[in-house]
Amino acid sequence: MEIFHNIQMGFQVALSWQNLLFCLIGVTYGTLIGVLPGIGPVVGVAILIPVTFGLNATTAIITMAGVYYGAMYGGSTTSILINVPGESASVVTCLDGYQMARKGRAGPALGMAALASFMAGTLAVVLLTLIAPALASVALSFGPPEYFALTFMGLTLVTSLAGESMVKGLMSGAFGLIVACVGVDAVSGEERFTFGNIFLLDGFGFIGVAVGLFAVSEVLCNLEESMEQVFIQTKFTLRNLFPNWQDWKDSFWPIWRSSFMAFFLGNLPGAGATIASFMAYAMEKKLSKRPEQFGTGVIEGVAAPEAANNAAAGGSMVPLLALGIPSSGTSAVLLGALLVHGLRPGPLLFQSNPEFVWGVIASMYIGNIMLLILNLPLVGFWASLLRVPYRILMPLIVTISAVGVYATENNIFDMWIMFGFGIIGYLMRKLRFPAAPVVLGLVLGPLVERSLRQSLTISHGDPSIFFTRPISAALMIVALISLFAPLVRGVWEFRKKVVEIS
Amino acid sequence: MRRADQIAGVIVLVFSLAVVEGGRRMPPSNTFGPGAGFLPVCLGVVMALLSVLLLVNAWRQSGEAAGRSPFPDRKAMLAIAATVGAMAAFILLLETLGFLLATTLLSGFLLGVIERERWLTTALVAAGNALGLYIVFQILLGVSLPKNLLGF
Repeated sequence: MEIFHNIQMGFQVALSWQNLLFCLIGVTYGTLIGVLPGIGPVVGVAILIPVTFGLNATTAIITMAGVYYGAMYGGSTTSILINVPGESASVVTCLDGYQMARKGRAGPALGMAALASFMAGTLAVVLLTLIAPALASVALSFGPPEYFALTFMGLTLVTSLAGESMVKGLMSGAFGLIVACVGVDAVSGEERFTFGNIFLLDGFGFIGVAVGLFAVSEVLCNLEESMEQVFIQTKFTLRNLFPNWQDWKDSFWPIWRSSFMAFFLGNLPGAGATIASFMAYAMEKKLSKRPEQFGTGVIEGVAAPEAANNAAAGGSMVPLLALGIPSSGTSAVLLGALLVHGLRPGPLLFQSNPEFVWGVIASMYIGNIMLLILNLPLVGFWASLLRVPYRILMPLIVTISAVGVYATENNIFDMWIMFGFGIIGYLMRKLRFPAAPVVLGLVLGPLVERSLRQSLTISHGDPSIFFTRPISAALMIVALISLFAPLVRGVWEFRKKVVEIS
Repeated sequence: MRRADQIAGVIVLVFSLAVVEGGRRMPPSNTFGPGAGFLPVCLGVVMALLSVLLLVNAWRQSGEAAGRSPFPDRKAMLAIAATVGAMAAFILLLETLGFLLATTLLSGFLLGVIERERWLTTALVAAGNALGLYIVFQILLGVSLPKNLLGF
């Protein structure tokens, strides 16, 4: 079986001492990011890009992927103990998790969250192993029109679902694409919007934009409110952490159902881990024999969303690796990181860099085991970190961001880009423009433009080329539906509720 | 929010028209197919249409949410302005002061003045932070961070 051969090769890469070490660093740092409120996986990964710049690409992406799914584990700790989500995908976990903690059952809640995360994370990697190469081989036959249709669909789905207002989401996406146009045009060699600035010839540096938009603006927003929280004192012993037999009976099916649902949801552009966790909670409440008790501290109310956010994080790796299309803000930053390392994700990646792809996938099996160990016996340590006040973290986030951005190119100008986009990001947050579509547009911009212009060159300027080829036509229709049809309104209303609750 | 949306709509409209104009000035392709200005013009037009939609929506907004400003009170705005100013000063002075000094001053300012931490904690965290970053970036990652004239 080819797949066994591939995964074996992946493990050979992932089990080198260097990759194991950086996988451990990634998942540990990811758990930390997840535990600390006010700093989420997008920021965590963005800050890491410059730090991992000097490593080889495989090690760097192993580390950053570890941060992404590690944050999904860590987020639940904060939700359960202090009723504040460590990151947005753990918002729903607060509902029943905190109630369990108030009833003195913080231990089983934390234990079940870690175990559900592990089961879902592992299932997601297995599905990723099976599906991603198959999807990549289908995508090998894609020409420029298919690529344009695919990126167009990805952009419209993400932007139309990304915020409270579809118009604002689309504006953010278009702004990202415009920012991507800055610099020397790859097709004609023409300078665009550089205003004679030599630093802009290569365009806006991705790292500066991402760190500014996510990390700096986050810090500025947090200055408005006091981040100090009340901490619940609980005793942690390992025996206390294991859920009892009844807990398992209540959670077993919700975990698997939520994992499958969330994995496939994570494949779709636009539906990230946050939406998946909300949908899993809603689904379990509907299927439960005791829906009225949801919100009072039932264990499946913790298990389902925690399984879902991990499965969705794994699911979002499928389109990222197989098609080069990110499905959420964090995977857009991951795509940016790949590009920084000179790798172009997409179907060819499986053929040109198999040791990279399979190394990263294999590392996710190992990373999930590391996370289970980090989050079960050591959960007390992470909980004690919540005593570190946010005001100490704030200067650290600012200076790490600034130095990291400087370090990639040894260039002060990149720090100004970070600075500028930090202010833009702050204003966007205040005016309720989502930031993720900007990064998505910036990362996908060159691919969108190249495929669009190549397609139109092939067809001598006739746009019907996007609708006469079957795959491209199907994708374009999905994109247009997401923009116009009332069918999406259901999802849309749901998303609105999600935003309101969070 | 209504006021804020109107202002944002106007600013984005002006911005998108500038993008369209900039794109139109770019030379056409010398082969078949669209040239360098093609995508900027398309995006500028889309953006302009969207900003008109935003303005229309803003005009129709009413109720309690419409009157509320999305920005925080004066005190918080002052803290934000001071943080932004400190970051700008840091970037400007980084190469003159050198990495260690500039980073200690920036983290000290943010922690001691803006977050009002006790001075001893501030001094320890600021110096420790600068030193820690120096060890990670300069020594472990081999980045050459800016030095001042005194050589640190």
